[in-house]
Amino acid sequence: MKFFFILKQTFSNLWRERTPVVATILTICIALTILVALFEISFVLYDQLRDLKSKMVIEVYLDPDATNDQVKSIQNKLETFNTIERLRFVSKETAAGIFKEEFGENIMDILNENPLPVSFEIRLLKEFNHQEYLSLFKTQVENLNGVDEVHYRHALIEKLENVTEAVAIGGIFVLIILVFAMNLLIRNTIKLSVYAKRRQIDIMKILGAGNLLIRMPFIFEGAIEGFIGGMFSAICLIFAHKFVAGTFHLLEIGTSTYKMLWVITISFGIGIGLITSSVSVGSFVNKIFSKK
Amino acid sequence: MIQFRQVTVNYGYVPGALKDINLQMHDGDFTLILGPTGSGKSTLLRLIYMDILPSAGVVTVDKWSSFRITPRQINLLRRKIGVVFQDFKLIENMSIFDNVALPLVIEGYRRKYIKKLVHVLLDEVNLLQSMDQRASTLSLGEKQRVAIARAMAKNPFVVIADEPTGNLDREASKNVLSLLERINRNGTSVIMATHDYELIKKTPYKRIYMENGEVLPGERTITIPNKKINLLTNQE
Repeated sequence: MKFFFILKQTFSNLWRERTPVVATILTICIALTILVALFEISFVLYDQLRDLKSKMVIEVYLDPDATNDQVKSIQNKLETFNTIERLRFVSKETAAGIFKEEFGENIMDILNENPLPVSFEIRLLKEFNHQEYLSLFKTQVENLNGVDEVHYRHALIEKLENVTEAVAIGGIFVLIILVFAMNLLIRNTIKLSVYAKRRQIDIMKILGAGNLLIRMPFIFEGAIEGFIGGMFSAICLIFAHKFVAGTFHLLEIGTSTYKMLWVITISFGIGIGLITSSVSVGSFVNKIFSKK
Repeated sequence: MIQFRQVTVNYGYVPGALKDINLQMHDGDFTLILGPTGSGKSTLLRLIYMDILPSAGVVTVDKWSSFRITPRQINLLRRKIGVVFQDFKLIENMSIFDNVALPLVIEGYRRKYIKKLVHVLLDEVNLLQSMDQRASTLSLGEKQRVAIARAMAKNPFVVIADEPTGNLDREASKNVLSLLERINRNGTSVIMATHDYELIKKTPYKRIYMENGEVLPGERTITIPNKKINLLTNQE
């Protein structure tokens, strides 16, 4: 009977304060949608970055007049690096073949000679594919006798790393603001509900109601607002996913992704609703009745 | 038994809402607390259901003492006391049934038992036919009868009535008094604060007269329009 009473009171609170309740649900929906979208963007960027890094090749170009002994010596020295996953020698002929593959023309036909230098293609072990080690590796290899230039897609990786970092930092910043906004609005609706029901709470206290029975309807109210907000957010995100997938062919979406979206948004919504309302209802009830 | 020992109550910076009260109310008594507005009647009653605690002295209600009672025990105490107010303190947007059922819901009784008991209680106060009506639609007299039914729901050992007839006409007041008398005849103590001397003048109950936060000893007279009444003997 107590449970039915609590449920009845919860829905009566929601109905009585319907305008602020709708505003709160909308805020939770928008906030959760932005949060999950930001999280997904960060995840995709991070994934792309990891993929790019794992495929990244460092090209070590040798002096055009490097002797065979020098080439051998450089190869031996490179082989001593235990951070290298794969080392491949690219002769002048192989380089000309790659040129033809990429540009469709034979370099000998254009220039009557092959100016492409001898080089090594290096792929580092995954854990060393970061900017700090790459710079160090580049300096070490460039100092080897007979090495002309060490090249890797430094700018692209740096850019991608910066973007990922910016999204992560921005995400945290946005997260703080949105959680604060959600918290503020849930607190506000709970405050209005408590204030509207202050007479009822007073009567219940006189009749000997415990704190739990008085507070539960308000706590449930917050949880229901979070639940509905989370549900709408999941719907928005699924539509956004379908749009992005259909337009840009960027994401592969399966039923499991949708299920995950429902679970994440709804549980986060309920969580924040429960926590905020539990914390605020106690303080509002105490505040109102301490003034008596 | 309810006992007040050297009880003083000060509200904030206003001292002397009650001054050095010593009283005893026995089980099964019908006690009237009389006195003009502001004399301390309501404060005395609020001490019984521990809505306030004394600034000095001790109030003992049944097995609970104000000296060492915890908030949890206050809830338990209130479940053993029925309270009736001048402004009824009903939840206006709830049905009569739900209002009477509220103390039983708080106690955690089963739905079936609550339904049965509320029907009996509403029948006692002649409101069974209107049990689905909202409290806001009732007349003042009917509201007070609902409040009395609610107070009785917990089978209390004492019913406290704070000016229960204050907002009612003569006929409704008499009804309320006779309901309280019936409750008392069944063994429940009743403590009623009132300044409706006309209503209680012919009743044989114990009287406590209060003025300026003090219980006045001995024989007292009060003046009501055109009549002088001895409070202890009820003689005009």
